[in-house]
Amino acid sequence: MAKKPTLDLTKYVRFYEQMVYIREFEELIGKEWNNAAAHGMGGYMHLYSGEEAIAVGLIGGMDLSAGDCFIGHYRDHGYALAAGSDPGEVMAEICGKATGCSKGKGGSMHICDAARGFYGGYGIVGGNVPIALGLGWALKYRNQKNVCACFFGDGSMNQGAFHETLNMAQLYKVPVIFALENNGYAMGTSIERSHANQDLRSRVDSFAMRSVTINGQDIFEVHEQMAQIIQEMKEDPHPVFVEFKTYRYHGHGAADTPVTQSTYRTRDEVARAKEEKDPIKFAQAKLIELGVLTDEMITDIQSRAYASAEAAMKFSDDSPYPDPSELIKDVYA
Amino acid sequence: MARLRYADAITSALREEMLADDRVFIAGEEVGQYLGTLGVTSGFLKEFGPMRVVDTPISEVGILGLGIGSAMAGLRPVCEMMRMDFAMVAYDQVINHAAKIRYMFGGQFKVPMVIRGPSGVGRQLSAQHSQSLEVLFAHVPGLKVVMPATPADMKGLLKTAMRDDNPVIVMEALRLYFEKPDVLDAILPGLSEVPDDPDFTVPFGKANVLRAGTDVTLIGYSAMTIQCLKAANILAQEGISAEVVDLRTLLPLDMATPIASIKKTHRAVVVQEQWGLYGCAAEISAQIAERAFYDLDAPVQRVTGAFVPMPFARNLENISFPSEHDIVIAAKRTLGR
Ligand SMILES: Cc1ncc(C[n+]2csc(CCOP(=O)(O)OP(=O)(O)O)c2C)c(N)n1
Ligand SMILES: [Mg+2]
Repeated sequence: MAKKPTLDLTKYVRFYEQMVYIREFEELIGKEWNNAAAHGMGGYMHLYSGEEAIAVGLIGGMDLSAGDCFIGHYRDHGYALAAGSDPGEVMAEICGKATGCSKGKGGSMHICDAARGFYGGYGIVGGNVPIALGLGWALKYRNQKNVCACFFGDGSMNQGAFHETLNMAQLYKVPVIFALENNGYAMGTSIERSHANQDLRSRVDSFAMRSVTINGQDIFEVHEQMAQIIQEMKEDPHPVFVEFKTYRYHGHGAADTPVTQSTYRTRDEVARAKEEKDPIKFAQAKLIELGVLTDEMITDIQSRAYASAEAAMKFSDDSPYPDPSELIKDVYA
Repeated sequence: MARLRYADAITSALREEMLADDRVFIAGEEVGQYLGTLGVTSGFLKEFGPMRVVDTPISEVGILGLGIGSAMAGLRPVCEMMRMDFAMVAYDQVINHAAKIRYMFGGQFKVPMVIRGPSGVGRQLSAQHSQSLEVLFAHVPGLKVVMPATPADMKGLLKTAMRDDNPVIVMEALRLYFEKPDVLDAILPGLSEVPDDPDFTVPFGKANVLRAGTDVTLIGYSAMTIQCLKAANILAQEGISAEVVDLRTLLPLDMATPIASIKKTHRAVVVQEQWGLYGCAAEISAQIAERAFYDLDAPVQRVTGAFVPMPFARNLENISFPSEHDIVIAAKRTLGR
């Protein structure tokens, strides 16, 4: 797939860069978590490291300025950054600052960017999936040539809401991409311990919905396939279920420490995934091989990504907390 | 007497009842192999095995259905909600099913189950993970609603819940889970003490006067009882003697104890963590008005959370639910000060 001669390589260099930006952003948060209170961070904190190619490749295949849109769950920093949201505003939200994208009212789990078609990150497992049906319905209702992507985890597939939604989505042929980020675990529970049928893609066969499995660690495969599918969905509106196979590097959230992680996975397993399945390393090797990425470029991208994350943190640190008068605002439209 | 944290009291109650009654089992997300999201069932899987400590998928409807059906069939399930907010996913099982089965079938069946989990404000858990939704349960006949404030009550009420023949909702205050015994005892001497007797239980429908006083009655439950105790300490420094009544259970609701207190103090402040509108504090205030109107020297005051979804930013979160200072102000208002 990646060998297709039509590959737009400059685009992939940009995707590579975006993945590195997301990684540096998340790793900085991970590092600064030790100092969370000083930054205003708190509560739950779910990092996206290891899964970057999915958001970058899929969102990169959508035309957000032309009305494509997406919705996600709480592991949502990467979606916003992939869509081009301002890293400072995302970081400020994570730190509960007035300048945050949700005015500091949502926090890490509830990033959004209406201007870029990001309908938000949601904290109830599976809760965002039915909403995607409505987003897709609105597109179809208005005869828009657009699609909606819905990101969720393997855990969501064990919610009744998921199954009601997929049935209706297929029944009404709404243009929604149900993007399963199958990272093998829902918190500390592996697929094996929570799904009677561990072939998750086949679980949607009963809805007669189009489905595909994609290696979520391979940005080329993610993007080429999704670009093709999105084009077809725009010509003929219909839902698609996509299983992205991926892996999460950090604990489920900040509270999932190395000690609690030891109840469900080994350090070895994590190390091996980082070594063998890293989406950034994979893209890097491929782009070098294709002759469009050099060592100097890599160093440059790395340092710019790091600087961007640091600048985002500084923007947040320099930002005020919300004014107390904000407490009662935004309850109603 | 042992000095326990609230979370330890949960563990102790669950473990004792599981040892005493082999019909009892626990089902929930991460309760077994992960040792419990908040550690309260740590070691249980090893001790009791996978039929009695059931790790479930993220399927709240399924978890509660497992509980209701097996309870009807004679087992005594404890269904853990990782957070009580998630019970909303399965609200139908609780309200339309568990609460109705006894009555709807003319008393032929019973549903002896416990639905328990952490509830209320945590620390920057934001809108979907900070709610204290007891009102939604306490409104419904057929359910019982338990909201312990102290480690001893946590243990004693949970044990009573596990022995009860009805669906009992036990809402545990997340904010109190890991409060150290020393911290609790500094608020009120002996607050962390829990009797060692394995037959120690606390009955439903009996409010508790945690602190005696003469000038004003502070009525709370769950984490707000602790806020009331802190407020009483502040008031004491200003020469105001506050009596603190902990309701313990909202359904059944003991009004005799708070009313006896009000007959003595003639003033009442009712405190509730979340939204006041149509809330528990409103119900309690109404009952006071009906039953003790002529004993009151001042209008009953309610102290409740701001009528907003929980904000994330720490400074906004801090002003969104009642502080001890809000309670102090309300108490003084009843005294015209
Ligand atoms: C209805 C509901 N139940 C439980 C939770 C607690 N919870 C939050 S995330 C999570 C795991 C979800 O895993 P998955 O869907 O695979 O997504 P991942 O975190 O792996 O990206 C759990 C159990 C919740 N937020 N909502
Ligand atoms: Mg997962």
